Amino acid sequence: MNTIKPIALLIALMMALTALCVPAAAESSTELIVFAAASMTETLTELKTAYEAANPGVSLILSFESSGTLKTQIQEGAECDLFISAGQKQMNQLDISADASVNTEGLDMVLQGSRINLLENKVALVVPEGNPKGIESFDDLAEKLGAGTVFMAMGNSDVPVGQYTQKILAFYGLDEAALANAGTLTYGTNVKEVTTQVKAASVDCGVVYGTDAFSAGLEIIDTATAEMCGQVIYPAAVMKASRHPEAAQAFLTWLTGEEASAVFSSVGFTPVPQE
Amino acid sequence: MFAYLSTISLYPLWNSLRIAAITGVLVFFAGILCAYYVARLPRVIKGILDVILTLPMVLPPTVCGYFLLLVFGAKRPLGIFLQQFGIRFVMTWYGGVLSAFVVAFPLMYRTARGAFESFDENLAYSGQTLGLSNTYIFWRIRMPACRQGILAGVVLAFARALGEYGATSMLIGYTPGRTATISTTVYQLWRTNDEMGAFFWVAVNLVISAVVLLAVNLLERRQKKAVKA
Repeated sequence: MNTIKPIALLIALMMALTALCVPAAAESSTELIVFAAASMTETLTELKTAYEAANPGVSLILSFESSGTLKTQIQEGAECDLFISAGQKQMNQLDISADASVNTEGLDMVLQGSRINLLENKVALVVPEGNPKGIESFDDLAEKLGAGTVFMAMGNSDVPVGQYTQKILAFYGLDEAALANAGTLTYGTNVKEVTTQVKAASVDCGVVYGTDAFSAGLEIIDTATAEMCGQVIYPAAVMKASRHPEAAQAFLTWLTGEEASAVFSSVGFTPVPQE
Repeated sequence: MFAYLSTISLYPLWNSLRIAAITGVLVFFAGILCAYYVARLPRVIKGILDVILTLPMVLPPTVCGYFLLLVFGAKRPLGIFLQQFGIRFVMTWYGGVLSAFVVAFPLMYRTARGAFESFDENLAYSGQTLGLSNTYIFWRIRMPACRQGILAGVVLAFARALGEYGATSMLIGYTPGRTATISTTVYQLWRTNDEMGAFFWVAVNLVISAVVLLAVNLLERRQKKAVKA
């Protein structure tokens, strides 16, 4: 009897805690769930405040992760009204009108007619404060990687910035697998993880977006040209399974407007001109 | 399929086993020594130390990882100091030992504490009246008597170290051929849609775990037989 009382008390306490987790009565405002590439964290968070203030009936729920992770979550049935990807590939994999060689699973999750190219970004080479390995450019980085004298962080192959980095490595004729086996590459699961590793000086350098470098206060050593990794375009689209497609479309249209464009430009994005 | 398997690097296997084994040894000594000495402290200090030493078990591994980065990060005072001796816990395989140690230590500590507390002190007292040294009493009387609990603690700690992901991933990242462990490799392979690779490592982990548990069971059975005889 003596041992049962404290155990009963503990279990009662845990049950009380779970009762607290029961959600409150449903919101009367429209909840829009936006899945956006991790590189948009700072800008979209700022824009959310502005949009919600101008549209009191709408509340935005923002989820930031690598576009590859978000695409997988959408594919697995996660609730999402608007998807903004850092690469065309992830959006194409959900778009039935995209080439079957990219949309290999024949997914039809994009609301046709809503897809636009929203922003352009630049892929940048960043270093920790003080540039410990004295890296001067992408050319210099390629040389040092080949010689095995630098330790670089990059996104993994599921992350758009990782895919752009792979293109840059291929441009310089470097074998990614060989570099990885030599222990000169470390992989992050999204662009913010890579940024954090560079910022904390856990690595000698990293490849992220210009916008992430700006937001984290990192020195950009060099920017990749379109020849090296192609143009970095962020497509956005309303999801077919959205419960509020009109509200989602309204928000997307607002994101192409002047106020939003100003915020995007302030960190280094280039808003794509809409026809 | 075999062609694919022949291209897989087995580094994560050796790395995980190496990290878990070293952690097991370190945790064994640290755990039993702390359990022994903390039990002898005055009540208030004992209570406070108990909470501190058990904390990593209750904290989420990512919180532990964050703390480790805060202390040993490349730009932190301690991190910079250690770098002068060439020691760097961030992005190295032995950083994995540190993170595994932090999360596995409380398991060994609590189990050892429990085992020592249920030890019949009369045996120790009799040893003292016979003129045996404290060290002798500890290693030759107390430890063998608490064998079951100690062994359970070591197995738990080894298993925890082998399966550690959160703190390890944050502290040492994922560098193939240098810091990749089975747990971080499975996550990477899953994220990059390498289903066969991910499943291979899941199977490897299952086999290791099964072998360890079987070995422990066999050991326990043999001890019980020895006691009966």
